[in-house]
Parts: sequence; C-alpha cells; structure tokens
Amino acid sequence: MARSVWKGPFVDGYLFGKAEKARASGRNEVIKIWSRRSTILPQFVGLTFGVYNGQKFLPVQVTEHMVGHKFGEFSPTRTYTGHGSDKKSKRG
Amino acid sequence: MSHRPSHQDVLVATIGRPHGVRGLVRLHPATEHPETLEELGPLHDETGTVWQICWKAPGIAAVLGQDGQPLPDRTAAEKLVNRKLYVPREALPEVEEDEFYHIDLIGMEAVLASGETVGRVVSVHDYGAGTSLELEAGQLIPFTLACVPDVDMKAKRLVVVPPEAVEVEGDLAGEVEVRS
Repeated sequence: MARSVWKGPFVDGYLFGKAEKARASGRNEVIKIWSRRSTILPQFVGLTFGVYNGQKFLPVQVTEHMVGHKFGEFSPTRTYTGHGSDKKSKRG
Repeated sequence: MSHRPSHQDVLVATIGRPHGVRGLVRLHPATEHPETLEELGPLHDETGTVWQICWKAPGIAAVLGQDGQPLPDRTAAEKLVNRKLYVPREALPEVEEDEFYHIDLIGMEAVLASGETVGRVVSVHDYGAGTSLELEAGQLIPFTLACVPDVDMKAKRLVVVPPEAVEVEGDLAGEVEVRS
C-alpha cells in the first residue's frame, strides 16, 4: 500500500543538516549514510552520497530524476554483473 | 582466418543448448543490446575458429561456420554448447567524446595528482546513479570530472582526486514532514 500523502515523504532528519553543510562547503566530498530508507528530496540534488549496501558505500550522485525514490534503490545489496561487455559510461 | 582470443578481445556471447533439430542454438549474449551482435562482424572462439551469428527468434540463433553455412543438425549444435564467442576490441563501435567502455577502464592505473600510484581499477559500477570506479584497495571513486579529471587511454592511466568521506550520524527517529 502506498504511503499516505498527508504524511509527506520520509527522510531521516539528520540528513538535512549534513546535506546543507555539504552544499555550503562546496567541497568534493561523499556523504556516507546508512539510511537507505530515506526519500531523495530536491534539496539533495547535486550532492554525492555514499549509500551503504552492507559491504561498502556506493557513490550515488543525486540528480533531479531520482527525487522521490529511496537511497537504497541505487545501492544494490546483491551482486549482478549483468550483460556488460560493451557497457559504456560518460564522465558525470 | 584464425584468431585466438587475447586479453584485448571482448566476450560477446556464449552458445547455449541446442534448439530443435535443425542446428539452431540458444545464444546468451553478453552485450547490452543483443541485436547488435550480427553487426559486430565475425566472432571467434577460444580455439580461433571463426563463427557468425544470425538471429532467428529472441534468444535463438543460427551459427554460421567459416564457409558461411549454418550448422547442419542438432548433433553439430550440441558440440558447441558453452562455447564462448569473442570479438577484437577494435570491432566495438566508436564512443562519443568523454565516453568510455568499462572494459577499457578496468585495469587502468590510478594515480594521484602528485603522481603517487593508488592502484588499478578492478571494476566499474553503474546502478543508475552515476558511474563509480572501484580500485584494488576497495576504494570507490565517483567517475566525475571532479574526481577523475584526466583519463589517458594510451598510457592506460587515470588521475584521481579521492573525495573526502564525511560520515553522517544521528538518531534514527528523525522523521521530517515535507508537505507541498
């Protein structure tokens, strides 16, 4: 069942302060978090979070398309190498 | 033509079990877009034998030998089960500017701006939230201009600027309401 709209999205509160500090500092940093359950808010766009997947902190570069999803969705806990022999990536 | 796989070759497919009695096989592509397999040109296996692929249905392909003839029957197809098919790295299409194949990044030497070696790239992660490079020591570097300012394909070397890691702690009862 979907979460009631009147509650608003769930975010662990301590992420807010850290995100604001990181944005203000403007440094090249990864914010390590364990809170996979938190919703990605527009305030987080442009920041890089290291989301714990049980083993390591996978870098998650937040873009506007990710708003509304949970952090855990971008840090899989199971290994899947996929069909990647011709996989390519652009530098972000 | 015979071409044994080298470290420069790219695994593109594995032949699976036979399909039917007319020499067709199930083909397990290792590429993102299986339909491009036919366009990659001749493929070769570990023994250097050259093969070509012709898709007949989703996941089902005819394997053509060096003479351009498909496998005659199921018995011939059974002999090719688990055969891995490769293409030379040069056969892959050109990439756009500032775009890199993961197979090219893996194995590159990562150095700091000061020239100090950090280790080799062992894997590349991309789960929909930006690409990151995993180094030998387990360190994860976001593949961004800020963290990887220079990639030298010829020297197989990239310059990394490891980001500062900041830990966030707090009580888990910090629910915040955001209403529109």
